[in-house]
Amino acid sequence: MGGGCEVDQARLSQALADAVAAGGSEAALAVCRACVEWLPMTGASITMMTVAEVQEPVCATDAVSARIDELQFGLGDGPCVESFRTGRAVLVPDIADPAETRWPVFAAAAAATGARGMFVFPLQVGGARIGVLDCYRDAPGPLDDEDLTGALRTADAAVWSLLDRTHPGGDGPSGSVSAPDGSALVRAEVHQATGMLMAQARLDAPSALARLRAYSFSAGRTITEVADDVVARRLRLHPDGVWSNAGSGHPGQRDARSDDPVDSSSRDDEEKPS
Amino acid sequence: MSTPSAAREQALVTAFVRLADTLVADYDVIELFHGLCGDCVSLLGVDAAGLLLTDQRGTLQVVSASTEAANLVELFQLQAEEGPCLDCFRTSAQIHAGDLATDTRWPRFARLADDNGFTAVHALPMRLRGETIGALNLFHRSRTDMSADELAIGQALADVATIAILSDRNTRERERLTEQLQAALTSRVIIEQAKGVLAERGQIPLDEAFSRLRAHARSSQQRLSDLARTVTDGSFDTAPLLR
Repeated sequence: MGGGCEVDQARLSQALADAVAAGGSEAALAVCRACVEWLPMTGASITMMTVAEVQEPVCATDAVSARIDELQFGLGDGPCVESFRTGRAVLVPDIADPAETRWPVFAAAAAATGARGMFVFPLQVGGARIGVLDCYRDAPGPLDDEDLTGALRTADAAVWSLLDRTHPGGDGPSGSVSAPDGSALVRAEVHQATGMLMAQARLDAPSALARLRAYSFSAGRTITEVADDVVARRLRLHPDGVWSNAGSGHPGQRDARSDDPVDSSSRDDEEKPS
Repeated sequence: MSTPSAAREQALVTAFVRLADTLVADYDVIELFHGLCGDCVSLLGVDAAGLLLTDQRGTLQVVSASTEAANLVELFQLQAEEGPCLDCFRTSAQIHAGDLATDTRWPRFARLADDNGFTAVHALPMRLRGETIGALNLFHRSRTDMSADELAIGQALADVATIAILSDRNTRERERLTEQLQAALTSRVIIEQAKGVLAERGQIPLDEAFSRLRAHARSSQQRLSDLARTVTDGSFDTAPLLR
């Protein structure tokens, strides 16, 4: 894997979008494969963080990636663990560099795997950490701007793939109109709507975002359009998982369920996530 | 400008002293940005201010705005993929548009700004040692060419925002910058989520939710993003905020 080659961001983005749109349990691995195919990375893996910081390996493109994760979580040390702990990106140009003293125990073990550059990105929905994307390459050197852009886009796609995994939408992503990459995450109203759904249906942030997305699929609308409706109080999610159009949206009519079933898209879109 | 110069000078001194105090303490970068946007309104007589940062994915994200209306315009600007802010970011130079009605550079943006009642916009780059990390946008409701003095003050405020992002010069500067930019964007997301939670629980508008969040963070002496985090993870009882 040589550095210096141009990253084709358009093809990477398309591969990531395809991976997420395909959905299902293979989505996360497809995201990792896109990362290795279109970025100068040797391998990539995704580890999910479940309750109370329990890690669960989700997928890895190769044995070395899997081994790197295993080492870190076994030792409780390393860039991956640090990213888990802090919620921050950790970029290590060369884990074998003697000047790299942050993780002495892990560094010694990692050297045996042949990995040099290690780049870890937290996967989170606001403050809720759901996992990490761990990329490595067998040559030392920092990420250049293009590599970094691509890696961050990969991390955004990985977030969606994990939402699919942990909060599978009954509707499936077929006929998706929203580009399921990171672009929706730019918009303030998506996060505001996520907060409102959290309060309406007593969900955590990842579940609320997953529901927002599942609804946008079933309604054939973009996630930002749906978020706009939630923020404008035209659409709400009830604790039992049922969506309703809020008619005039008069604040205070909190018990009004489906008082104005304007269109069929307000039907139950799936079972409530457990 | 109608503000007597002595009064403005005093206000400027106060603002920069407050910023300096903030920068040497353990501060919340998003809250500092909000303060800066407010300073632009009060010190420079602009009608709205907004701050955008690169997300390092090829997109600018609005991280702070003095009003929800400015927020709207900036979102339009991003959507339109054209406008003074993007030009400012791409060229690392100030962009001045004192009268959007006669300006032909960004027709779609001008129309959207007009829809929101804005006639003039000035965009000032946030530069950090050869890298541009964002831009400060200043909006006016009437035709306005900002004076050299006003632009200098605005640029100084933008520079403070830049310094706030990279407060300490770490040896791993690149990593540090990425960490800080991503952390700022994450804080922004958490705050937006918390606004949504509060707005829903209290059946109040989003900007009112933000005001209460901010007031409580101040009175309880905690970071805005820390408070927002406890709102979103359910560990903070929001009832007192909603009375």
